[in-house]
Amino acid sequence: MAGFLAIAAIASATIASAAAGSAPVGAPADGEWPMPAGDYAATRYSPLDQIDPANAPRLHPVWSFSTGVLGGHEGQPLVVGDTMFVVTPWPNVLYAFDLSRAGYPLKWKYRPNVSRAAIGAACCDVVNRGAVYADGKIIYNLLDGHTVAVDAATGHLVWETKIASVADGETVTMAPLVIGNRVIVGASGGEFGIYGWIKGLDLATGRVVWTGHNLGPDAGMLIRAGEFHPPYVSGTQLGLRSWAGDSWKHGGAPVWGWISYDPKRDLLYYGTGNAGPYDAEQRAGDNRWSSSVLARRPEDGTLVWAYQFTPHDSWDYDATGAMILANLTIGGKRVPALVHFDKNGFAYTLDRSTGRVLVAKPFTHLTWAKSIDLATGRPVMNPAMQTGDTKGDVKGICPSLEGGVSPASPGAYSPRTHLFYTSTNNFCMDYTVHRIAYIKGTPYMGVSSPYTPGPGGYLGAFIAWDATTGRVVWKDEEPYPSWSGALVTAGNVAFYGTLDGWFKAVDARTGKLLYRFKVGSGVVGAPIAFRGPDGRQYVAIYAGIGGDWALLAGDTLSADPTDLRAPNPLVNNLASRTSQGGMVWIFGL
Amino acid sequence: MRPHPTQSRRASTARWAPPTLLLVLAVSGSRGATPTHAPVIAAPGVANPAHIAAGGLPPPGPVVRNPYRGDAAVARAGAKLFVSMHCSDCHADAAAGAVGPNLGDGRWRYGASDAAVFRSIYFGRPRGMPAFGGMLGAQGVWVLVTYLRSLPPPSDLPTERFTRH
Repeated sequence: MAGFLAIAAIASATIASAAAGSAPVGAPADGEWPMPAGDYAATRYSPLDQIDPANAPRLHPVWSFSTGVLGGHEGQPLVVGDTMFVVTPWPNVLYAFDLSRAGYPLKWKYRPNVSRAAIGAACCDVVNRGAVYADGKIIYNLLDGHTVAVDAATGHLVWETKIASVADGETVTMAPLVIGNRVIVGASGGEFGIYGWIKGLDLATGRVVWTGHNLGPDAGMLIRAGEFHPPYVSGTQLGLRSWAGDSWKHGGAPVWGWISYDPKRDLLYYGTGNAGPYDAEQRAGDNRWSSSVLARRPEDGTLVWAYQFTPHDSWDYDATGAMILANLTIGGKRVPALVHFDKNGFAYTLDRSTGRVLVAKPFTHLTWAKSIDLATGRPVMNPAMQTGDTKGDVKGICPSLEGGVSPASPGAYSPRTHLFYTSTNNFCMDYTVHRIAYIKGTPYMGVSSPYTPGPGGYLGAFIAWDATTGRVVWKDEEPYPSWSGALVTAGNVAFYGTLDGWFKAVDARTGKLLYRFKVGSGVVGAPIAFRGPDGRQYVAIYAGIGGDWALLAGDTLSADPTDLRAPNPLVNNLASRTSQGGMVWIFGL
Repeated sequence: MRPHPTQSRRASTARWAPPTLLLVLAVSGSRGATPTHAPVIAAPGVANPAHIAAGGLPPPGPVVRNPYRGDAAVARAGAKLFVSMHCSDCHADAAAGAVGPNLGDGRWRYGASDAAVFRSIYFGRPRGMPAFGGMLGAQGVWVLVTYLRSLPPPSDLPTERFTRH
């Protein structure tokens, strides 16, 4: 129950800080990490300050654990009270470690009977982006379309709900969020022609209370009379009329990232994924609300506003990356902001009350658009970069369909430095699509998209970003795409990991490298900070290359003797630096 | 939504009896008497040791032969079918491996014979390989098998050398 009280404390702290006009929105009240991004505002900011730039060079690993699973270890552990919880990729094992005893032995582990068939319906490795704690339960999603609630004390199953259909191409990889008595969940499947949705479950029983689609008829989207106010468009059936014919029925718009929540406005925010199929000419129109941010009421799912980052997505630019909430000062005015680093290469600062764009600037090299028109909210497109089955091989599209940042790599915000921190990518693609028929349960893609490096001689970078002006403050270049989540602490230290297996601590003000350690496998997870039962600050991170890199860098896989892969030309020596793994690491002073 | 020219509906009309269905097992020796207690089953003699090799394939059924083996024109048609049936969306262009394994590396998770590859496509496999037999029919599956068997084996993948980096 301590954790439950902690969440209540977070909520009240959120309201207090919002009332005082100070950021961030909903900082953790103590040293726990009870939800995916640490807080409702998705800041991945820790108020702990024992580790600082002066002592960070003395960091060292204090513990590690092999999860026994090879696969992309995305997401992050949770820490509630004296217990750390870890969810693995498929088969989605849940471990509970006792942080109060030497060696952090297991208290229990929970092994769900999750279907093997789901492996083939997962577009991009069998990842899981983490669990959430509430009301004495650890709640997380299974790849095969179930949400489970497990007793945090005993490891016994409390409830299990089927939320998605693998036969229809739906799998579940996202990190749920608990808001009041609702568990918010969504499904992956933008590559399988799903009819994308988000659901609210009852926290006590797991019962599905509401389902809101992200496209299609107003009724299915939970648009209620007089309550839907998108900032730049008006009218009814926008999610229907912006799709040619009935193409919305398999239009994708999945939910595979992160949820954030503003208690003061009682709005939850999430991003939707790409439209399908990849041949945009098969779905003429803006294709709302794919590649968008949506704001809903958690209690009944009512859609309040929506804004589309990439209309008529022609490049697989999912918008499922984190929506980070912070109160910023822009042009002398205090603004309730939502900051989002999009796959399309622009970082957006929105007014989270209305969805209007305040700032939108590129954070990495991009060619598909020239700018974002703040009057209309629409991108000013580069006509030469439009794709489709009649367009042939379109070369030099930046960013690639992997994104200027992967949505699997959530950023962080520090109210001390007033800066945002995120991994970024710097590579491009050539893009060829062909017309494709829908075949249930198989990919609905039809694309060939080889990658090429972006300018500058680096493929990724960890950056600090000023969201009030839209500029890069500092940049740590990386030889490989940067795929980890970010963490920033009150000690002014930012943490991230690299695809070639380094865990790094850098000065949050300057980007100067303070400490690094080779964790054994590439990092695609997100670091967290917590206060241990001994009162000391620790930082935890997963190692385990995967996600898209399980597909793209197949030469980092060694477990199957019947599956040999050539190196990917983009990262042709990555396998000389790292291989598959599955580790949890804890670092301390 | 145009049908791909190689995605022939005629193919699905070809009837092919799956070999496992031809393996009729005698499951009851009942001759009218109703057993009143659990039957005692004696271990049978082993007629074919291959049947019980650890991790081995199922007992052989009737010989299943690829009618197009080595036919280059059929292999080219199979390359197109590999794209239009969405195979390339999981196994990558030229079957080089992505979500699903590389099918051009000369190694096979479920057996290297044409018949084993046929079974994988026709019936699917438990780690998420869909069953395409119902859509493609036996003829269409053989076209895909012929394409996959035509892929040239890789030059030097089993031993990867990294010293040059």
